[in-house]
Amino acid sequence: MTRADPEYGHLIPLLEEYASTDAGDPRRDALRAELVTGFLPVAQHIARRFSNRGEPLDDLVQVATVGLINAVDRFSPERGSDFFSFAVPTISGEVRRHFRDLGWSMRVPRRLKDLHVSINGVVSELSQSLGRAPKPTEIAERLGLPVSEVLEGLEASEAYRSSSLDEMLSSEQGSATVGELVGEADAEMNRVDFRQALRPVLAELAPRERTILLLRFFGNMTQTQIAQEVGISQMHVSRLLTQTLDRLRSRLDPETRVN
Amino acid sequence: MSDAETLDGMSTVEVRTSATAALIPTIRAVASDLAARADFDLDAISDLRMAVDEACATLVDAAEPTSVLQCRFLVRPERIRVHAEVEAAKADTVLSTDTFGWRVLQTLADEVEVLHEAATEGRRATVGIRLDKSAGDVPR
Repeated sequence: MTRADPEYGHLIPLLEEYASTDAGDPRRDALRAELVTGFLPVAQHIARRFSNRGEPLDDLVQVATVGLINAVDRFSPERGSDFFSFAVPTISGEVRRHFRDLGWSMRVPRRLKDLHVSINGVVSELSQSLGRAPKPTEIAERLGLPVSEVLEGLEASEAYRSSSLDEMLSSEQGSATVGELVGEADAEMNRVDFRQALRPVLAELAPRERTILLLRFFGNMTQTQIAQEVGISQMHVSRLLTQTLDRLRSRLDPETRVN
Repeated sequence: MSDAETLDGMSTVEVRTSATAALIPTIRAVASDLAARADFDLDAISDLRMAVDEACATLVDAAEPTSVLQCRFLVRPERIRVHAEVEAAKADTVLSTDTFGWRVLQTLADEVEVLHEAATEGRRATVGIRLDKSAGDVPR
């Protein structure tokens, strides 16, 4: 960038002036505003380069603008460097940091998080009244929403997979009823041949995971029934079961599956 | 699988991946999406998802390393049939039904069946799993 640059050349003297004014100078604010506004197309351009990664462009432009403001504030013309060669990495760095801080695997748009909460509430209500797990259409009807939105919300709940599972659990474990059911489930397990391989692996599981697994696969209960029994949501039972099966799969020797 | 089952022209979805565990999440995401759109109840959606997971994991273990994992979903009113298949690691590879994994499949699906096809000229032996899942309200 030189002073002859048609778009930004006129800003170079302003950069120098801004850098040389003291913190208390009344002209600083106006200069800063003019510089940031003047260089804004640069920030917008950088933001657009990141625009196909799933983040709304408006958010990216905001983040890039923060980067631009930092660049304007920190730039020292007396070092003889070009403003662009300082500003472009500063702005890109700000946008990259934004992506990094999002924690992709867990991030879900606010709207879907809210929807997830409403769906969860309605699911337990409907499970009670229907005596079985509700269907997406039934959830949509109760919430007064289109089915497509409910499907989207259910999909979003998959993104909760990586959150801590323990924090939301009911503390009331191992009630007499669950104990009885587990006993019943055990009896059937004695009749199957893979018990030798399975038993030590089951013993490694946390009591809650083991209980849920046994109720589902040896106690013949549905996820909704288990959810009511154990006092957690059906979606949570689903997550715990998936997780536990994954774990068992890696622990049980794959050779036992194939003869 | 008969042509009538595969060529209904409107509600069949086929996913082909390398037979590797890393791609199973993709297949199970397809399974749960299809079940949700077919208005299965939430238990049934989750069961189908886990059953597909289990079936694919079993097949990947039995697969020839460069095999394709082919997973076909036949979406019918109130029912989804899944047909998953790989090329067998050995000509005499047999899927065991005497395992916890098989127990899991039997519990999660309404019906489940092992499929073996011997090698023919120019085609390796295959092993597969077919499972049926209804939309809900079947005592499980």
